[in-house]
Parts: sequence; C-alpha cells; structure tokens
Amino acid sequence: MTTVRLATIMAIIVLLALVVAAQTQTTPPLPSTPRSVSFPKPIERTLPNGLRVIVVERHNTPLVSAMLVIKNGGEVDPLELAGVSDLTANLLTKGTTTRSATRIAQEVEGLGGLLDSGAQWDSSRVSVGVMSEKIGPAMSILADVARQPTFKNDEIERLRQQYIDSLTLALDEPGSIARFVGTKVLYGDGPYGHPISGTLESLKRISRSDILKIHRLFYRPDNAILLIGGDINSTAGFSLATRFFGGWLKPRTPVPTLSAANKATDQRTGRVVVIDKPDAGQAAVFLIRRGIDRKDSDYYRGIVTNSVLNGYSGRLNQEIRIKRGLSYGAGSSLDARRNVGPFVAVAQTKNESGAEVADLLKSEVERLSSAPPADAELTPRKAVLIGDFSRNLETVNGLVSRISSLALHGLSLDEINRYIDNVQRITAADVQRFANMKLDAKSSDIIIVGNSKAFLPDLQKRYANVEVIPFAELDLNTRLLKKKQVQ
Amino acid sequence: MIRESLIQTAAIAVIILTLHSAAATQTRMPQIQFSDRTLKNGLRVIGAPDHSSPTVSIQVWYHVGSKDDPNQRSGFAHLFEHMMFKSTRNMKSEMMDRLTEDVGGFNNAFTSDDVTVYYEVVPSNYLETLIWAEADRLAGLNVDDTNFKSERDVVKEEYRESVLAPPYGRFEFLLQQRSYLAHPYMRPTIGSIEDLDAASLKDVQDFHATYYRPDNATLVVVGDFDPKQLDAWVDKYFGPIAKPDRVLPRVGIKEPARKGEVRLTEYGINDLPSVGLTFLTPGQSDADTDALDVAQAILGVGESSRLYHALVYEQQLVAEVAARADSREDASLFLVSAVLSEGKKPADAERSILAEIKRLQDVPVSAAELDKAKNQLITNGLRERETSDGKALALGEAAVLLGDPKRANTDLARLQSVSAADVQRVMRKYFTEANRLVLYYLPEASRTGNLHRDRTRKEVN
Repeated sequence: MTTVRLATIMAIIVLLALVVAAQTQTTPPLPSTPRSVSFPKPIERTLPNGLRVIVVERHNTPLVSAMLVIKNGGEVDPLELAGVSDLTANLLTKGTTTRSATRIAQEVEGLGGLLDSGAQWDSSRVSVGVMSEKIGPAMSILADVARQPTFKNDEIERLRQQYIDSLTLALDEPGSIARFVGTKVLYGDGPYGHPISGTLESLKRISRSDILKIHRLFYRPDNAILLIGGDINSTAGFSLATRFFGGWLKPRTPVPTLSAANKATDQRTGRVVVIDKPDAGQAAVFLIRRGIDRKDSDYYRGIVTNSVLNGYSGRLNQEIRIKRGLSYGAGSSLDARRNVGPFVAVAQTKNESGAEVADLLKSEVERLSSAPPADAELTPRKAVLIGDFSRNLETVNGLVSRISSLALHGLSLDEINRYIDNVQRITAADVQRFANMKLDAKSSDIIIVGNSKAFLPDLQKRYANVEVIPFAELDLNTRLLKKKQVQ
Repeated sequence: MIRESLIQTAAIAVIILTLHSAAATQTRMPQIQFSDRTLKNGLRVIGAPDHSSPTVSIQVWYHVGSKDDPNQRSGFAHLFEHMMFKSTRNMKSEMMDRLTEDVGGFNNAFTSDDVTVYYEVVPSNYLETLIWAEADRLAGLNVDDTNFKSERDVVKEEYRESVLAPPYGRFEFLLQQRSYLAHPYMRPTIGSIEDLDAASLKDVQDFHATYYRPDNATLVVVGDFDPKQLDAWVDKYFGPIAKPDRVLPRVGIKEPARKGEVRLTEYGINDLPSVGLTFLTPGQSDADTDALDVAQAILGVGESSRLYHALVYEQQLVAEVAARADSREDASLFLVSAVLSEGKKPADAERSILAEIKRLQDVPVSAAELDKAKNQLITNGLRERETSDGKALALGEAAVLLGDPKRANTDLARLQSVSAADVQRVMRKYFTEANRLVLYYLPEASRTGNLHRDRTRKEVN
C-alpha cells in the first residue's frame, strides 16, 4: 500500500507548505491553477465512391501525415493462411502498375518521407509522413500503392523470406514466444489465435492468389477511411483526397461481412503452460485472458482498471520491480478490438523467479476484485491515463492514429474531446465491478517461457496442471501447442 | 505549410508545383527561441517558452556518464541514475513519481557514455514543484541499504533483459566492448553483474559528491511557462546549492588510432549468424560529423538506402542491416551490422557491405541521392522536435556535448551544406582496412569440436 501511504504524506506536506515559507524549502511547492486543454476538431466528408475522408489541422510543425485505413486486418486470415492480411498490406509498397518497389522507396525517401504499411487485427493501414510542402507527391504515391499494387512473385518471395527470418528472430526471444503461445492458448483457432505475421508453416503456404483475393475483397473505397492530419488546410486536404482517390471505383458487390465464426470462444479454465528453453537468459511470464471489445460499454471502466495495474507506479510494477527488484518492468494491457481482445499481464525475470512472478501477476489481478482501490490511489492512475492521452496527441502521428481508431470502430470523432471527462467519471466501485465481471484471475492462462529447470519445481508446488513443452516441440498452429510425433 | 494562394488554384496545379519543388526546396526550419544563463554556482539554465500545449518539459543534464564509472565498477553511473529516484534530503523514495506520474506527467532518465539525463514532462502548473524536486536531489541523496540492494537487483534484471535475453543483445554489447582499446568507452554502459555486485552504498554517496554539482549540470526547460517566473524559481531553489571547491575529474585517456584490422568471432544463443563492423571516427564536435551523418543516411536509412537495397533487397543475403553513426564526445564509432538470412554465409555479407563502402569511396554520390539523405535527416529532425521534450533534448545535447545550445538551431541547416565531395572524403578517410573491426557472431550450435575458435587475431597491435 505504498501509494496510499505516500499520498497521505503528500497531503500533510501540502499543509506544511502553507506554514513554512521563506526558509530552505523542505516540501514541494503547490501547483498553480491548471490550464485547460482542447484538441483540434476533425472535419470529414464522404466521397461519392464511399471513401470516408477526415482532415485534422494542426500547424505548429511543418509536417503532414496521411493514412489510408482498410477496415479489415489479421482477423480475416483463414486459419491455414495465418499472416496473409499482413503480408498483403506489406506488399502494397513493393510495386504498382506504374512504379517498381525500388522506385517507390526512392521517391518517398527522396521526399524525406516515411511510407509504412501493415495489418493490425481489425484494419490494414498504409501511411506516409512528410514535410508539409511535399504532401502532394506523397499522396500520389500513397494512392498508387493502395489502389494499384501488382504483387509480383519475386516481391512475394522476398517478403516471405523476410517474414520467416523475422519470425525466426522472434522465436529466439522469451517475450515474443510467450505472446505467441498465450494468444494460441486463449483464442485457439479463432480469428485472433495466430501470430499476426503468420507461423513458419502458414507463411510457406500463402500463394499469390490468396494475396490477390484479400486485396480484391477488402481494399475498396467503401471499406476504407482516409485521414490527413497536420500542417495542411482542410480545403487542400479534401482536394488532394478527391484528386488521388476520387477515381477509385467502388465494386458492385457488397462489402463482405465477417462470418459468425469470427467470435472469440469463451474463456476456458486456466492452463499453465511452460515452454522449456534451456538457453533462455531470462524467463518471460504472461497471464492472459479475455478482455473486452472496443464498443463495450465498460470500455472506460476497463482502461482505468488496467491503469491501476499498469504503468511505472501501477500495482504490478510496484510489487514486482519497486518492492522486490524481480524485474526491470512489469505491466498489463487491455487490448480492445472489434471483437473481444486480450487482457495481458506480463513481466520478465531471472529464470529462478519465474514461479514467484507468475504468482504475483495473478494475485495482483485477484486483489482488484476483492476490494475497490482507495481514491488516493485511483486519482493518480486516472491522471496517468489522461496525461498519456494528451501527450500522445501532441504529435501529428499520434493525433491521426487516435482519430483513425475512433473512425474504424464507428465511434464519434468528438470522443477525443470527451476522453478526459469519461476517464474522470470512473469510480473505485466501477473498477472493482469491472475486475469482478471481466478480469477473473482464476480462469486466466499462465505462460512461462524460460529455462524450466530453474522454476518448475516451485511452479508445480503452486499449480497441479502444469504442462511442459520443450521449445523444440512447440507448434504454434495448434492449441495443443505440440508437434505431432512423426517417426 | 502549404500556402493558401496555391491551394486556391486547381488541384492539378498544386501537384505540379509541389512535384517540381520536391527536389530543390530548402525547408523552413522552425527555430527554437531560447534564453541561456549561468548561475553563480555554475548551473547553466536554458529556457524555451512554447505555449502550444499546457505542459512543460524539465531536463537536468549531468556531464557524467559510463565513461566515468569508478575503477572496477563498470555500470555504476547507470546504477547511480536509478538511485536518484530513491530518497533525497526532502523526498521519500519514488516521490518523483508522485510529483509527475500521479498528476498526469511522466519522468525518466537515461545514462549514456558521456551524460546522465533526468527528465520530466508535467502539466505546466507543476513547474515550480519540479524545479524544487530537481534541486533537492542535486543537493543531496539519502539512500539506505535496503533501497540500494533492491534497486541493484532491478538493474541486474535490466542487464538480463537487454543483454542476455535478446538473441543479439550480447552481440551489441561485444561490438561496443571490443571497439575501444584504451578509452573507458570499452565498458558498456550497462556494466557487468560482478561489478554491480561489488558496488556499495558508499560508492553511491561518493559518486554524488564527485559529479552531482551545479557546475556539472545544465537545466533545460521547454514549454508552457513564464520566463521571469522560471528565473525566480531557479534562483530560489538551485541558487543556494554551493559549488564544491574540489576539482571535477575528467577522463583524459585518448583512444589511439587503430593500426590494423581486428577480426573476432564469438558465439551466442542466436539462430541466425550476424556480422558487425566498426570504424573509429572523431568525437562529435568534429567538423566531419555532418558528412558522416549524411553517409549514414545514404548507407542505412530506409529501403532505398544502399545497404538495404543491395543486401536485403537485391542479394537477399541478410534479414536486416543497419548503419549507425554513434556519436560520442571523445571518440565515436560508425557501426554497420547485419543479421543474416537463413542459410547465408557471414563472409558473403561482409564482402557485400565492404563493396557498398568502396562504391561510396570511389564514386561521388549524385545530387538526387545527396538531397534525399538531407531530406530524411531534416524530416527526422522535425519529427524529433514536435514535442517539448524533443526540443529540450536537442537543446541539452547541443549545450552539453557540443558546447553551444545554438547548435540545436544551426546543425540542421549545416547539414544542407554537406557536399558530395565531403561524403567521399570522409568515406576515404575513416573507412579504411586499418581502421576496421569485424565481429562474426555465430550460433553456439555451429561450433563443432574439430573447428578451432577463430579468435586468434584479436587485438593485433
């Protein structure tokens, strides 16, 4: 209860500050009156082809970002083709009917710009950021790569190999292995159950026609949002949008709807999975369970609850790092997606402390539902959220991506100006209620990746159902996680 | 900013005009307006008001880094940085977090080879509170043994997380360690577990007394504040801190010029081999730094950069490649490193890297490619300065490491004057065989009984 105690001390200090004055000051000076914040107001229009265009002006730095958001991502990957949406999005910048991959890179970088594309779970994005005077040519390239990619075979092979190499790198790291395993355990064969950039097996299966199919089905103006933000006047923004995207034809077929199967399965009882990697320099410890979807009416209760656990002075880091020195950092995340995304609590620690840290993660999540946080704890945790939010909106990229997420989920863009109030309104009782309803620790899964010799006996004392899988036998394509024995 | 008059014309005109201007424009660089004064006790204070958001960034730069680690205490400057968040004369442990995080701000610190920087961003009405707090931890620490030991454990986990757990953590560590023969830069900032274990509470107090003094510190404040009020608060809280009489120790060791290629092979937990090359280059205030930065962009920034295009795209030899002009105060490194693709040989990657270096030495870079590199560097500079803490970092680095905060404004413009001949000259001057270190970092699994370890030519001179 360090936080509570310190907050009390703070209150005393504040009183003292009024008494002591000119002497050497032993207490922190009081804050002055806060200044209010307001964020730029996005303006939007829909082009006749169905493309929704949003412009948000901010002129303090001569930079502009433009982003095209396609409203589907890794969630639509067929199970055996995990990674196809991300591969498709990434290939956009690798050649069009008018520009080769090399020329695209030369032109964008010649402008000093960054062109980036990739898929998230619910969307695929391609974006470009440049000095404001170069936004015209940058938009021309953005439109070209989104509308007319060629997906040449040699580019597919090149990128496939790069994906395999990156995945091989990730499979050397305890933290990323734990994340892959955790999502498979939680979602199984559901839409979020694979690594978003694929598995070693699925990447080898993806063909050019699979990629063309993703592009044909989902990359269409009436399934997309274009955002332009920064040092640009809205009239100029809309005219660039019309010039480069106005001629993008809307297909006659309706936008595909996601099948009912695209729902996360119910939470199962907690598995405890150990991936034994004897050469691991540290153990990664994960607690994972179902969280909420983005339109959940508990969204703000959820993010405030998560903030009580997460952050430098959040409960997890307090207990694991600050009090016990067991990790360089512990934290949690509540990833609200179109469907129910995961809640994750995580820390890396020396192999010997793997079981102890797993227990600490679990007991801190449990403690949230057993008692409401004191206001002296909750108020600063809300301030953290509000501060992070406000600072994130200080950069053009932050502003554009925050608005894009509201637009993607069909939420009011004005929510950026209501965020602070929405967070302030959450009470300690809300937090406890949310933890009770949505963050049951007992049904959560625990994953530890590390040198199991150092922590397994300790872990087996605490849990009866520990599954141990040698890293060499790990299979990320099945919820069983084990390769079939082939002799 | 795109001008109104252009926008009023037809969209087509906008595009043609901007396309035409794409190569040749000199971007308007927003200048940071700042004040610069030094208190009687030696504290330098740089202030830059900017009212675009109701926040303020406070940074204290101490001119002490891991090169100043005490003997047998590698990693100490960094461990000490962690101790600055424990109790001080008037603050309990972690009170800095109460004054920042709890009011919607944040704080952190970093230690490099040359400096240790503490920084906060808070709602602007808390500026006085933070000036008080920073002055308080400069005036004195009050750390106890329990705090010290638990924080030392945190740093050991940081070591494991950055060096031991990532497949190439030790590769980066070794590349730095082996690149210097005499200068204390050979000790990686994170240090070693043994030296961290040997550190004591007394070391903490001694280090504070030696280096944490007003004449070794620069306070930078950027954001929503009134300059007169800032001056008054700084005088009130920092003014009374005395400047010690003792001489401030400085590292005097000069790194000798390299006299022959050094080749090393090491083994690790990685699945894919990696290759690293380093070249010794001058300290960052040297006039060649600009041309080396441009060379870095040409070689390594973006997919059209020469190394990416040749090794990743064309030859498909490597999964990733990086070029970095790693500037330091006394002697810098230019690093090139690559992680190989499945089934490729380190020697082939090395040969291709050297071929790209040679091409840049033999043939002057074209005007378009030079312009591209400058546009990239300038756009990155603009991005870094979007926020108040980004501006404060630029001012602090210019003041402490380059000796003049004005260089935060002039350096981006100076990049514009780098010529193709400058790039060719620095490439020929520094990228020589005699000035080269090559490290192969191979999977432990590839080491077999009948292969002798290729470590024979280590440190030949």
